[in-house]
Amino acid sequence: MTGNDIVDIATAAAESNWERKGFLDKIFTQQEQQYIHHAAIPGQMVWRLWSMKESAYKIYTRQYGGRFFLPQKLKCKLLSETTGQVTIHNNIYQTTTKSTKDYIYSIARLAGEQPDLLNDCFGIPQQVYADQQNFIYKKLVASYAMIKDEDKDNLIILKDKNNIPFLYRKKQNLKIPVSITHHGNYAAFTIN
Amino acid sequence: MNTEELIEKLKVIVKPYVKDEEGFKNMTENSDFLNDLKINSANLVDVILDIETEFDIIIDNESMEKMLNVKAAIDIITAKLNEK
Repeated sequence: MTGNDIVDIATAAAESNWERKGFLDKIFTQQEQQYIHHAAIPGQMVWRLWSMKESAYKIYTRQYGGRFFLPQKLKCKLLSETTGQVTIHNNIYQTTTKSTKDYIYSIARLAGEQPDLLNDCFGIPQQVYADQQNFIYKKLVASYAMIKDEDKDNLIILKDKNNIPFLYRKKQNLKIPVSITHHGNYAAFTIN
Repeated sequence: MNTEELIEKLKVIVKPYVKDEEGFKNMTENSDFLNDLKINSANLVDVILDIETEFDIIIDNESMEKMLNVKAAIDIITAKLNEK
């Protein structure tokens, strides 16, 4: 099982002021705030840790159901420039983060699992939110259809009652977990 | 403060962060901040900080955890105001 999360750096800078009083304290543990204060580019570390938490949260809620908003509950540990680990209760998720000048993108996996993963990360046209969502869904379906040699018209992405997305094959019994992320002008997905 | 008044105050607070105008127009007690108003989750932190400032309350972790929809926000604000 995987989860992924992308942060558009320009959009994050425009939409969030992480230096706002109280902002870091609401989201990050003391250890994580140390990572931020000692980082060469603190803002980049803020969004790296954020995307690690979000990507792990997506797996956790898929495993256990329920929703909550408590980013501090997901505790990050950095292992290298790109890899890390997120712990919640007794669950450990391994993360890999790609940082470019435009976006920061994390994928989380269950610890010890090396899933066969179909994954793409791309820019999306500037449109209204709903159209961007459609663009991403179409791209995901097209990728899967091409690799599995399926008819894309038979495939559809639907969210369950907890708002968790799956890829379905119409009429036949196929239900594949997918993780979709979208922020600003960038998007990505993982298909397990 | 009654529920309607609280919803009006919340509308002013969430407006800058809303990505779904239709969802905002139809915002009720049952609206979900993330799914219906499409507020991005980093901005949910801003919503919570703005609520703290507006109502002069502290939203602790236990309360913050449930802050996913208008109803939860109203319940939490009301409880914190009553504690004063």
